Amino acid sequence: MLKKPFGGIILNTAFRLIVPFTIVYGVYVLTHGEFSPGGGFQAGALLAMGVVLSRLIQGEDTKFNISGTTAVMLAGLGAFIYAVTGILPLFFGGNFLEYSCLPFPGHGHELHATGILLIEIGVTLTVMMTIIDIMDILIKNEREEENE
Amino acid sequence: MQILALEAVILLMLIFVTIAIIMTRDLLAAIVMFSAFSFLAVLGYFMMGAPDVAFTEAVIGTVSTIFLVAALRKIDRWCKK
Repeated sequence: MLKKPFGGIILNTAFRLIVPFTIVYGVYVLTHGEFSPGGGFQAGALLAMGVVLSRLIQGEDTKFNISGTTAVMLAGLGAFIYAVTGILPLFFGGNFLEYSCLPFPGHGHELHATGILLIEIGVTLTVMMTIIDIMDILIKNEREEENE
Repeated sequence: MQILALEAVILLMLIFVTIAIIMTRDLLAAIVMFSAFSFLAVLGYFMMGAPDVAFTEAVIGTVSTIFLVAALRKIDRWCKK
């Protein structure tokens, strides 16, 4: 199912229409999540949907793809971003995750928004890459079974 | 009143779809009905005024359907013989 591309003309056209929209919408949900429903988790799942859809429709050698090992590394990077954002205020006289003590220009609300955005970016990366990695593992086992 | 009636319809459909998922022996049909269950749950969350939870449920329902179908390919038993 997932090894060869199985898209016909309808699926390919729908792919070209839907995937860019999904990704732009995912970024919108990420950056606007402070004021509207949404946030890191939903944005990560939406962005991962773009990659998973392209792998489903265009097969394994699609241009828009992220391999399993890269996905694991980037998931670790997301957790690292979250941890660094949490630990940085400790060195500037604040508590863990106290955004107003972050060493960036700006005060009060600006710093608060910056800190929340950084944390959401970390969560988004981790969720997106974890979903892609689960997908990759499901496909990889299938490939090995066919080789036997 | 109309909202209440719509809510009752959605909840009843949720119960019926759940019973259908339990009763069916075809795994692919169960997965498709699970996707329908997820969509009905999205509508229910919207009616109860939780768009955030509804959004999460919609996205995760789609992703988990894909995962379940991909995992189903490894099982020999698609449906009861």
